[in-house]
Amino acid sequence: MADTPIPLEVRDITKRFGDTEVLKGLSLTAHKGDVITLIGASGSGKSTFLRCMNLLEQPNEGELIVHGENIAFKTTRRGREPVDWKQVERIRAKLSMVFQSFNLWAHMTLLENVTEAPIHVLGKSKREATEHARQLLDRVGLLDHADYYPAQMSGGQQQRGAIARALAMDPEVMLFDEPTSALDPELVGDVLKVMRDLAEEGRTMIVVTHEMSFARDVSSQVIYLHQGMVEEIGPPKEVLDNPQSDRLKQFLAPKH
Amino acid sequence: MIDLQGYGPRLLEGALVTLEVAVLSLLLALILGLLTASAKLSRHWLFHRIATLYTTLIRGVPDLVLMMLLFFGGQIGVNMFTDWLYYQFDVDIFININEFIAGVVTIGFIFGAYMGETFRGAFLAVDSGQIEAGRAYGMSNRLIFRRIQFPQMMRHALPGLGNNWMVLLKTTALVSVIGLSDMVRIAAEATKATHEPFLFMIPVAVVYLLIASVSEWIVARLQKHYNVGFGEADEWNN
Repeated sequence: MADTPIPLEVRDITKRFGDTEVLKGLSLTAHKGDVITLIGASGSGKSTFLRCMNLLEQPNEGELIVHGENIAFKTTRRGREPVDWKQVERIRAKLSMVFQSFNLWAHMTLLENVTEAPIHVLGKSKREATEHARQLLDRVGLLDHADYYPAQMSGGQQQRGAIARALAMDPEVMLFDEPTSALDPELVGDVLKVMRDLAEEGRTMIVVTHEMSFARDVSSQVIYLHQGMVEEIGPPKEVLDNPQSDRLKQFLAPKH
Repeated sequence: MIDLQGYGPRLLEGALVTLEVAVLSLLLALILGLLTASAKLSRHWLFHRIATLYTTLIRGVPDLVLMMLLFFGGQIGVNMFTDWLYYQFDVDIFININEFIAGVVTIGFIFGAYMGETFRGAFLAVDSGQIEAGRAYGMSNRLIFRRIQFPQMMRHALPGLGNNWMVLLKTTALVSVIGLSDMVRIAAEATKATHEPFLFMIPVAVVYLLIASVSEWIVARLQKHYNVGFGEADEWNN
């Protein structure tokens, strides 16, 4: 066990937008099979934190180590940025992201969406990628939608398709950015079910979510963020069932 | 072939010249347009400045003036350069700016500026989440451009591009001023000799119209191609 590199380690990340410091030194370690959920009110920095992990946002300070590979940063006139964008691309390919608004590529069919990055980023053959994609689409219950365009599918279908796209990369870690927040309530269940299955099969996942029952049932660790800082951290039983701070108690209280 | 008092074959040659100038200018304009749009959208201030200068200059000066500037002024410039080569290095060459190239370059330059604006708007219309998804999956900027930005931008750009192309096509008539024997110049010569404007100008108009109609058909086809995935849902389900 000690020899396998840790999938994702983040140390002391800070992020400023102008004068506002939105992340104030956040750290996280995702071991293989961990499901870490990030919860918190809007504006707490949880999505920004997630987006720093694959460098869609550039952290102002802090370290990022993906599968034992430390990302090198330099400071330029424009601020701090990675030394080698090729390294960033390589690392991003190991951390596939599922977005709140799905972001399936609109001009491609579902199948093409799932095979796109495996073919053009990982260099797989079209045949191999297609075969894998069909298995994954079958798995998320969308094999019969392989030739549909995103606009022809419901939000829930699109999000399950986006999860298939993420899985097609054989990622070290899957990053979920509020994957059910843009869905109609009746469509949330299907997406969560797929995510529960993934957690059960031992996928390493980091999930920003408002779905407390999902966080409770599936996570190995829950992190409650408040104003860019970790307010509480621990297994769901401690954090969700026995919150210490008043703020978290209030956050978890039924909203009516 | 229609004889047109013996001018038929020459007119046809002229039509070919018109088409060649138009198509080559279009290619140049598209390349310049893409470069201009990228420069204007880049974060680099110098690229941005140069592109802005280019579009402002080109769009603010009449096409005809630009063409004469480039053709006559360009020749003077080239002569000065070759003279300098001769005195400095004893290299004796003579470069003649040919009307065809001057025409293509001028029109390409002029329409590059317009295409640049069309492309810029079209790139801005692409949903940023689409590009972000490309980044998140480890795609390089180049791959994102080729696989996502370009195909999605095209459906926004095509109406404008088609429009620019039509105007470009008709602008090629200006090359007759610098002495290129396009269809318009030959028809004008024939009219002068025979005093029968309708006999020559109507066929010329018809040829322009024909090219324009074919272009419209091509643009419509392209439009359909780049609209895949974006049209009305019921359009596919049937």
